[in-house]
Amino acid sequence: MNRTLQFSKRNLIEISRDVLSYIFCIGFPLVMLGVMTLVNESIPKEAGMTIFRIDNLAGGIGIFGLTFIMLFSAMAVSKDRTSSFLIRMYASPMKGSDFTNGYLLPMLVVALVQAALSFIVAFIISVTVGDAINPLGLLAGLASLLPSALFFVFIGILFGTLFNDKAAPGLCSIIISLGSFLGGIWFDAEATGGVMLKICKCMPFLYCTKSVRSAIHLEFGWEEFWLPLLIVTAAAAVMAVLSMLVFRTKMKADLA
Amino acid sequence: MERNVAIDTKNLTKKYGSKTAVDHLNLTVMEGEMLALLGVNGAGKTTTIRMLSGLSTPTEGEARILGNDVREDQDKVKSLVGISPQDTAVAENLTVEENLAFMAGIYLGRKEESKSRVEEILKGFHLEEVRAKKAKTLSGGWKRKLSIAMAIIGKPKVLYLDEPTLGLDVLARRELWREIESLKSQMTIILTTHYMEEAEALADRIAIMIDGSLVMTGTLAELEEATGKKGLEEVFVSVAEGSKA
Repeated sequence: MNRTLQFSKRNLIEISRDVLSYIFCIGFPLVMLGVMTLVNESIPKEAGMTIFRIDNLAGGIGIFGLTFIMLFSAMAVSKDRTSSFLIRMYASPMKGSDFTNGYLLPMLVVALVQAALSFIVAFIISVTVGDAINPLGLLAGLASLLPSALFFVFIGILFGTLFNDKAAPGLCSIIISLGSFLGGIWFDAEATGGVMLKICKCMPFLYCTKSVRSAIHLEFGWEEFWLPLLIVTAAAAVMAVLSMLVFRTKMKADLA
Repeated sequence: MERNVAIDTKNLTKKYGSKTAVDHLNLTVMEGEMLALLGVNGAGKTTTIRMLSGLSTPTEGEARILGNDVREDQDKVKSLVGISPQDTAVAENLTVEENLAFMAGIYLGRKEESKSRVEEILKGFHLEEVRAKKAKTLSGGWKRKLSIAMAIIGKPKVLYLDEPTLGLDVLARRELWREIESLKSQMTIILTTHYMEEAEALADRIAIMIDGSLVMTGTLAELEEATGKKGLEEVFVSVAEGSKA
């Protein structure tokens, strides 16, 4: 456990000293929160569009922010693998699980900090526009974000293990785009229906957004909250096993 | 004083497809000894080090580090050895002190022991003046020093220095030699290099590798006597040309 914590501490320091992590992991989601609130204010009420209403937007931005955590997870792993630093670590008493957990823990910390900041700003905006979000809902949203955070971080670790530091960010950007659209962050997938909704329902991203939004609204029904949360948790578990297996396999291949 | 065998290899071989990088290496290094593994690029020095540190699995043969098999007792071997890789391999965004604290935490665990060990290494390696500097801002010489310091902070019994002065200017190289010499007799050291003067200056014994094979081992005097040549460069050229004939 100590080795995991030592490696986690190193990774956390590395992230905290990278200016880009502040811009993309914290700044960009907050900017999008502000911009899409302005968009919402510009949409006529007759249009009946509620996707960018702050209580819905907060949940969407919470998930959107996690896609950048995925990107930074991938970059952290791929950068280490292409440098000789990991060679030194392979020669140390560290085990495969120390590595994967050592990447996971600091990213989870960053994810929760990012989400908390997003939700605080969302609360301030909601009070400003006269439609205050229930703080309990935001707390529930923060807690329900955890399986989604695990899901995205493990995808990042998987991509970082499989691809080098040039390819991994590019592939992550595809997931960021896919996750944003298929997650119903920028459009109301449920209202759209049809083939689009069917496609969204085949991917875990929609359930990530749905579970967090429901939690923020303090709606804990089976269809609205528990089923989506279960799906996301299962997806996170699959990604966890896959990323750990792939990392271990790659580590053995590197040491062959 | 009787010394134990620290490193012992029997027909240690590494193949990559049809290419044999290390060919039936039989090498014995005694505790406290510094052995220079000398050879040109591609001779198999780094591959040998990788096998002896558990970074690479041998294709054939065996190797034991203080009696522990590199295949069967990998965890034990990893706790006994320290390696300073050919590329400096430091955490670039961490300071010198943070890099050392990190490695101390990995190898030593206990907070108080790690803390005092970090101070000891900072002082012993004259890294105090750069302790708060980020590793990426260090010059090549300082980075190499840090790399070696990170390799020994875990109190290894066996230390591998893979081309420790590669790319350094003569002054930085001499300074690093002083640091390496201060480690002699504290631990068993294998130093890989293609700099003749480095092997001459530092090593107790020299092992010459050519095309994956260990062709000659001994002190400089022994090598000179065996080849009839004076100076390590002449010895090496004679051995290299002899092996091609």
